[in-house]
Amino acid sequence: MTPTATATTTTGNPGTAAGAQLAARADHLSKVYGVGEAAVAALDDVSVGLDRGRFTAIMGPSGSGKSTLLHLLAGLDRPTSGTVHLGDTEITRLRDKALTTLRRDRIGFIFQSFNLLPTMTAAENIVLPMRIAGRRPDPHWVASIVETIGLSGRLGHRPSQLSGGQQQRVAAARALASRPDIVFADEPTGALDSKSGTELLKFLRSAVDDLGQTVVMVTHDPGAACYADRVIFLADGHVVDELLAPSAETVLDRMKSLGD
Amino acid sequence: MWTATFRSMVAHKLRLFLTTMSITLGVALLAGTMILTNTMGIAFDMLFGKISAGTDAVVRAEAPYTASEGVGTDRGPIPASVLEQIRQVDGVRAAEGSVRGYALLTDNDGRAITTNGGAPTNGYSMPSDDELLGDVEVLSGHAPRGPHEVVIDGTSAADHDIALGSTIKVLFQGPTQEFTVVGTVGYGDGITDLGGTTSAYFATATAQQVLGSPDQFDSIDVSADSGVSQQELADRLSAVIPQGTEAVTGAAVAKENAEATKENFKIVGMVFGMFAAIALFVGSFIIWNTFTMTVTQRSREIALLRAIGARRRQVLGSLLLEALVLGLAASAAGIGLGVLVAKGLKTLMDAVGLALPFTTLQVPTSAIWASLLVGTGVTVVAALVPARRATKVLPIEALRESTPGAEKPSIRRAVIGVAVLGAGVAGMLSALYGDASFKVFGLGLLAVMVGVLIALPLAVRPLAAAIAAPLKLRGMPGELARQNATRNPRRTSATAAALMIGLTLVVSMGVFASSLKASFGDVLDDRTDADLYVATSSAQAPGFSPAAVDAVAKVDGVAEVSANGWGEAHFEGEPSSYSSVDPTNADDVMNLDISQGSFADLGKDGVVVAKSAATAHGWELGDTVTAQFAQSGDHTLRVVGIYDAKGWIGDDYVISVAEQNAFAGPQLVSTALVTVDEGADVGQVQDAIDAALADHPDAQVLDQAGFQKVASGFIDGLLTLVTVMLALAVLIALLGIVNTLALSVFERTRELGLLRAVGMTRGQVRAMVRWESAVISLIGAVSGAVLGIGIGVALSQVLKDEGIKSVSIPVAQILVYLALAAVAGVLAAVGPARSAAKVDVLKAVVSD
Repeated sequence: MTPTATATTTTGNPGTAAGAQLAARADHLSKVYGVGEAAVAALDDVSVGLDRGRFTAIMGPSGSGKSTLLHLLAGLDRPTSGTVHLGDTEITRLRDKALTTLRRDRIGFIFQSFNLLPTMTAAENIVLPMRIAGRRPDPHWVASIVETIGLSGRLGHRPSQLSGGQQQRVAAARALASRPDIVFADEPTGALDSKSGTELLKFLRSAVDDLGQTVVMVTHDPGAACYADRVIFLADGHVVDELLAPSAETVLDRMKSLGD
Repeated sequence: MWTATFRSMVAHKLRLFLTTMSITLGVALLAGTMILTNTMGIAFDMLFGKISAGTDAVVRAEAPYTASEGVGTDRGPIPASVLEQIRQVDGVRAAEGSVRGYALLTDNDGRAITTNGGAPTNGYSMPSDDELLGDVEVLSGHAPRGPHEVVIDGTSAADHDIALGSTIKVLFQGPTQEFTVVGTVGYGDGITDLGGTTSAYFATATAQQVLGSPDQFDSIDVSADSGVSQQELADRLSAVIPQGTEAVTGAAVAKENAEATKENFKIVGMVFGMFAAIALFVGSFIIWNTFTMTVTQRSREIALLRAIGARRRQVLGSLLLEALVLGLAASAAGIGLGVLVAKGLKTLMDAVGLALPFTTLQVPTSAIWASLLVGTGVTVVAALVPARRATKVLPIEALRESTPGAEKPSIRRAVIGVAVLGAGVAGMLSALYGDASFKVFGLGLLAVMVGVLIALPLAVRPLAAAIAAPLKLRGMPGELARQNATRNPRRTSATAAALMIGLTLVVSMGVFASSLKASFGDVLDDRTDADLYVATSSAQAPGFSPAAVDAVAKVDGVAEVSANGWGEAHFEGEPSSYSSVDPTNADDVMNLDISQGSFADLGKDGVVVAKSAATAHGWELGDTVTAQFAQSGDHTLRVVGIYDAKGWIGDDYVISVAEQNAFAGPQLVSTALVTVDEGADVGQVQDAIDAALADHPDAQVLDQAGFQKVASGFIDGLLTLVTVMLALAVLIALLGIVNTLALSVFERTRELGLLRAVGMTRGQVRAMVRWESAVISLIGAVSGAVLGIGIGVALSQVLKDEGIKSVSIPVAQILVYLALAAVAGVLAAVGPARSAAKVDVLKAVVSD
């Protein structure tokens, strides 16, 4: 249980020095579905800090609350209690419009599937959030992402003409295109074959290493989690463990112990 | 299967409601039309039937032909002496001469009591025999006795506060006379007028004097002794009456009238029926579209049913059952609404000045059955294609996850659509510039519409691009709106087509009416040299008394007054209308491009023919034309002139007013052209004529602008009527847009969620749906406007020979329609936009 304490301690100090190192943090976050006797706590008093410029994976068995945590951190859902900060902004306080703009300008998303608008080309999908904002995308930045992602030849294609792996890479490019504070990926490799999955994970890794981005990924695949710098383990709505510089074996071991 | 059908219907209440409404409105128009025409038919039956009830046989002049429409055949008079002969016939209990004619009542202040929309203002002789009186009953006072007594219908007396004992003027074809009102009449069952007409009753001798001529009757009504049948009576009468007269049974007369009535209402019924058909046609698009979309959405459900063993036929049956239930419910609601529509249409026609005889609304059972049948039929047929397509889905296909993607319009559709369109245009052009008949033009028009409907999906993309170009200014939501509007061209075009049909008709009518008005102005400018016009005081009155013309002629400063009349007869065996003119001055006041001869030569048996008719028959000056008048039989007329410029006069045949009176009996004047003395002030002369017409409230004097305004007002009134009727089709089309958008939003839940997740605000989502709606409705409106302008211009062009020389496109009006369509589109999107903005981001983006 020590690693949990470490995590809590890191985020427990809302001091400015520590805060500057965190891209986002959750304090005493709870999410309860239903009321009365039917109430189920998906998250129960979770506090966690996510380091800037690092690749964090959130793991846990089904129903552990890992997706709920991601949705709350990303401002896609509202907690029953507790707060989420993105940088210095307490996003749990924001109204829908401000929250939407924040998602648009400061957060990138990669979902498990259906990431792209079917009517738009890959290129159009990549710059979508900026176009929604009515801003002109930075061409050099977008070009560098597109190059890293290796999709230069397929930018004019529509999603239906791309493979699943290509679609997810376009989604990743979109998530990064607006230089967000943080990128959230919800089971991004869940619907991919292992080769495509590996390519996507390598890309996320290089986004952190080469482009200095912050990535938070929910996954149930130990193979995927070992691309991260740090793995946070959730079970029954609690943060139960954490692992730095993970390998597939160590992650698998922890997961097995959680299953017990 | 039944349970599944009803469950799924109840599960989608909004869709159910919108789809139902589209059929309900169409059926309401159909039912309303049938109720209205039926009611008017009954009113007309009353008009003829009530007064002839109790008459067993009628002796009247033989007519060379019988008119198949209008208020029956206008026959010549018979000598009064026949009455005595008839009274001698065995079995005749009572016989009385009957006279009928134009009699316009005035109110206490001397103003004409005009009927709404020109329903007849009749004068009658009042039979003294109770049986022959039929349903006519004296409500107050007593029957007219002396030469200065009149009895009027209860409605006129009540509406204008005419008390018994008061003296009113009554206008006739002859001189105006004053009468004392001695009674009012009704027609049983609390009815106090004959279907919207006014009636004046005189003692028979008086009636002969003021309505006809002293030694003549229009007919002789006979009542039989008991035990003598109508047929026996008619047979016995036939044996004694002079040549040129005939005796027919009362029943036969009633039947003739009923048939004439039916013919009369065929046109009204057809016109209204056409609007109902348009509304239902538009409605069927919505049904088709809705079923196509729901079937696509339910393909998984259907596939599941198929996978667990439902046969294809069961699935089809279930879907058709849904359509059947929907159609029945919608039609039933439509019938209820139809009663309101009938009332609305009646009010509308009153407002436009087209009032027709009317009584309390009568809902015929035939209307109920027909509405149910048509409404349900349209629904089921429209649902058939999508339902069949649904059953062809292989179970495994539907269970596979798929996103609703774009559907490419097929090449075959393009080829067929363009081919039909081309054939239509060719047909119209050959009628316009070639020798093809009007029928070819009509078929061409139809083909153009069908071709456009088939090919519209192909035009969706370019149209959307053109329409949405300004939307780029609105950023991403505008861009997405355009893409969404074009991603399924067939769906968009089916939705827009409904609006297109409505707009096409409204705009083409607008262009036609505008051309008509412009042409009328040109006609007044070019074809008459009149300074002033004398016209009827109410737009749709049949005419005014010739006495008014005499009065105008006496006014100081008036140089010429030239009366124009109008009538119908058979020329060379063909029924045709004719105009009558004053030969003494027609050449001076009209400018009809007489290429040969002159109006002055009309004399007793002359006719001036239009050049088109002369060419068709090969007539030259001096040739003879056989004309047959219902009132007086055959006449051989000499061609004394050929005129080329239709417009002011549009008929092939022109005779003199004197000839008309000789051939067809005394007639009303439809208009009179007035020129003023040289140097006289037109305004002053107009005032003087106005003063002179004080005793002739059935006529009014107008300058050219005023006269044009009256004509334009009538055209505008008709246009309003048409527009309001079509508004219903447009309303249905808008319901279709709401429906399509609602279903599209439902279909795109995940996309909307994604857009919201990556930062589209609720406001932007709403804007996106609104713009999409505006784009769809503008696709319909713009294509409708273009098509409508084309058709309107073509219609005007094809009637060029009938005097529509100018083509005028009411640009401002059309722009207003387009703006309204865009606004309506935005309004239609309110609901769907709201639900799009409410999409739960999480539910949409998280795959389970």
